[in-house]
Amino acid sequence: MTNVTRRTLLTGTAAAATIGAAGWAAGNYWVGGRRNPSRALGKKVIIIGVDGMDPRLCERMIATGQLPNLAKLRDRGGFSDLGTSVPPQSPFAWANFINGAGPGSHGIFDFIHRHPENQCATFYSAAETAPGEGSWDVGDHRLQLDFWPFNHKLPATVLRRQGTPFWDYLDKAGVPSTFYDLPSNYPASPSHYHHHRCLCGMGTPDMLGGYGTYQHFSESGPAERLDEGGGMRARLVFDDETASARLVGPEDPLLKSPRPIEIPFLVHRDREANAAVIEIQRRKIVLAAGQWSPWTRLDFTMSTPWFVPSQGVRGICRFYLQQVAQPFRLYVTPINMDPAAPAQKISEPESFVTGLAARLGPFYTTGFQEDHKARSNGVFTDDEYARQAGMVLDERLALFDRAVDDFEDGLLFFYFSSSDLQSHIFWWDSDDKHPIRTGPEARARFAHVRGLYGKLDAVIGGLWDRHGDNATIIVMSDHGFANFGRQFNLNSWLRDSGYLGPPECTSIMKDVDWSQTLAYGLGINGLYLNLKGRERDGLVEPGDREAVLNELIARLEAVTDVDGKRVVRGVYRSDRLYQGDATALAPDLIVGYARGYRASWETCLGDLTGDVLLDNNSAWSADHCADALEVPGVLFSNRPIHGRAPSLVDLAPTILAEFGLRAPPSMVGKNVFG
Amino acid sequence: MNAVFSWIAACLSAGADALGRPLLAPLGVLPGWLSATLVAAATGVILLIAFKYTSNQRSIKRVRDDLDANLLALKLFKDSTAVTLRSQGRLFVGGFRLMLLALVPMLVMALPVTLLLGQLALWYQSRPLRVGEQAVLTLALGGDAKAPWPHVRLRPSNAVQVELGPVRVRSKRELCWTLKPRAAGLHRLTFDVDGRPVDKQLAVGDGLMRVSALRPGWDWEEILLNPAEAPFRPGAAVRSIAVAFPTRSSWTSGTDSWLIYWFVVSMAAALVFRRALGVKV
Repeated sequence: MTNVTRRTLLTGTAAAATIGAAGWAAGNYWVGGRRNPSRALGKKVIIIGVDGMDPRLCERMIATGQLPNLAKLRDRGGFSDLGTSVPPQSPFAWANFINGAGPGSHGIFDFIHRHPENQCATFYSAAETAPGEGSWDVGDHRLQLDFWPFNHKLPATVLRRQGTPFWDYLDKAGVPSTFYDLPSNYPASPSHYHHHRCLCGMGTPDMLGGYGTYQHFSESGPAERLDEGGGMRARLVFDDETASARLVGPEDPLLKSPRPIEIPFLVHRDREANAAVIEIQRRKIVLAAGQWSPWTRLDFTMSTPWFVPSQGVRGICRFYLQQVAQPFRLYVTPINMDPAAPAQKISEPESFVTGLAARLGPFYTTGFQEDHKARSNGVFTDDEYARQAGMVLDERLALFDRAVDDFEDGLLFFYFSSSDLQSHIFWWDSDDKHPIRTGPEARARFAHVRGLYGKLDAVIGGLWDRHGDNATIIVMSDHGFANFGRQFNLNSWLRDSGYLGPPECTSIMKDVDWSQTLAYGLGINGLYLNLKGRERDGLVEPGDREAVLNELIARLEAVTDVDGKRVVRGVYRSDRLYQGDATALAPDLIVGYARGYRASWETCLGDLTGDVLLDNNSAWSADHCADALEVPGVLFSNRPIHGRAPSLVDLAPTILAEFGLRAPPSMVGKNVFG
Repeated sequence: MNAVFSWIAACLSAGADALGRPLLAPLGVLPGWLSATLVAAATGVILLIAFKYTSNQRSIKRVRDDLDANLLALKLFKDSTAVTLRSQGRLFVGGFRLMLLALVPMLVMALPVTLLLGQLALWYQSRPLRVGEQAVLTLALGGDAKAPWPHVRLRPSNAVQVELGPVRVRSKRELCWTLKPRAAGLHRLTFDVDGRPVDKQLAVGDGLMRVSALRPGWDWEEILLNPAEAPFRPGAAVRSIAVAFPTRSSWTSGTDSWLIYWFVVSMAAALVFRRALGVKV
């Protein structure tokens, strides 16, 4: 028999303690993987956000049997128009959905806002990048070091949406929620209890910091690189059938004078084979004319001082060889953040998107994935745009399949952008003259939108087949759609009506005289008084505010087109419409355009044109930034809808009620099933 | 000079491949992390033994003893600046002498290690194509820029579908194809170059396989790093043939990181076994 010495006993005890601690830690780690067991108790709610799905078109297609699955939902009593936001713009509307309350709670009123203390300096309403503070300059470099003893403040992009999103209540209650491509949530808001996951959608920038900047290389391109809203064009010059070019990437933030990091690449064309070889970062891509490349990873290396290790960020892009000769044309998608190694936080938790990338490979991460700018700027034909948008949808459907496979219980939200961004280009539901197409062409393209609705109907059918009544399924859109044939320049109207001066003013950003200006338009639907005490160069006395507003409303609602049609359906006062603490940046008036009309392209950023009313001659021939009553969204569900005239703000309370949670006082909506 | 080095490299690579192909064959059936660990550990031990017999162990022991003595002096006479400075100087010199003593064994081992790494790279540097996964194949032609182009044809094969090509890169005298494998296995692609057959391996499948990304030209560096296929001789119609295989994703046995893992594990194994084998390093 072995004697147990003190030493043996102590050693054994220590070993046992070590093994026990390791086991406990490993157990915790394993539980950590699912460390927040669901308290949804098997309850499932699935929301399919179909941006821009129009209730009138749905009704027409249901009536002709083209949407059999949505018809089944309607037959159960689960169909209604869904009241949209005022104005019906997507970031705004989705923020209403997120907070279960209007803009007074979330503070988003238009795509762009202005800082009144700087008169009308604009910024994107849903997110803003705050510059850093402090730096250490070394030669050409500027280093920002956020640790002792430097303690510099790094630049940071902040989500400007205010208020509490509804998933925070689910998170706190232990109900898991997963969102794919959620708009108005970039950068992703944090999950405090780790039951919430979100992949950011609309509002997520590309690597160049915009909403998506394609790059186009052509033999007939401009000699100097040309920036055209949403894209860049450059000329290729072939020597012995090889041309060199540079892909423009993000700005190098480590330089005192930041300039874009560029990646050189070579294009070799073979006219006989009607194909080309692209050589970039020691990789070759072989493309036939009309062929798309797979996603290609790009490494952007920053310039660093000699003593700082090299740093870089990674993006992804796809090449599309449009034409090999006469002239050679090559399109490159906006450089998206690589979901496997994103340069910014595009999901909550950050591992959510990298996990998806590990399983699915690269995918679009910018908020606007369908490249409508390439179509509007003439880089794409209609067919090319339809094909690119179709590829986006296929990619998203693969993501959707994964999302549905992974879903166990709680809330699943999945967003489809195709219905919105394809409708902007292909929607035309009347016999009126189309901005750029003949009647038969317009009808053929509109049939494409119908086909898209049919495809999404099949997706919903598949979802219902899979879950049946075991899940509450909600299909909703943020707004509908309307033709956009004529454009109204609000600032030109204000000038012609004597509210904005001088008469020769061409832009409120450049040559406006604020001492002659009572009001100005900014964004798509906003009209602001040049109010003393609020605007830097304010002119309207607070005591005159009521009179000026009433006069503007009356005169705007009386505007008619040359054929006598009303241009403006209604003008709304924000102080009567919006309630809450976050209205400081709200426009004074919201202009609701009649069907067929919208704010002109120029007026959105403050430019003026000679004429107030103009034809819209853009491929972007349909829109929803009209009067909210003209373009309601749609709501389908496999449960009967009882609420009268439901609207976007009702969905958050509805979801909470599905999980047995009471809507907080900040929410103004009601349960649509109640 | 390059021709001589290339000839030597070709002979050595052929020999290493003849040995490495059967010896490393078990790597194909083991998990990547396990095979990478076993190979690195075994290599570390073998290199340690090689170090023992190629180094001057007696001198190394003497230097080591000297280093120990000076470390002791540092502890014992830390109040004496003169002794401390002298000991530190001797430590520095001792370290340098150790490096010099390691030079010969390092030179002796450099070549076998290079050949071994060339063999391991076949397994870990890239992964084979999967069935249905596209890859770009590039055939670089020999001859100068103005020489006429030979007629090149990739023979049809049941194993591989040509998706696109050949596409000529005139400025580089290259031909590119996009391939899509139809079946798993180690295939042989055959080109007719002016009627003469030229081969290239193509690995298709899941898991670990020997992947030859490049059939090299007559360049000694390329030959050493790509030992699986015979190099093209100078003056041949073809300069090289490359397939862009995908990277392998693994910390232990993945593209590029396998080399770091191999280095760390082989060093650790050598350190662990140095006492048991009585090696002074």
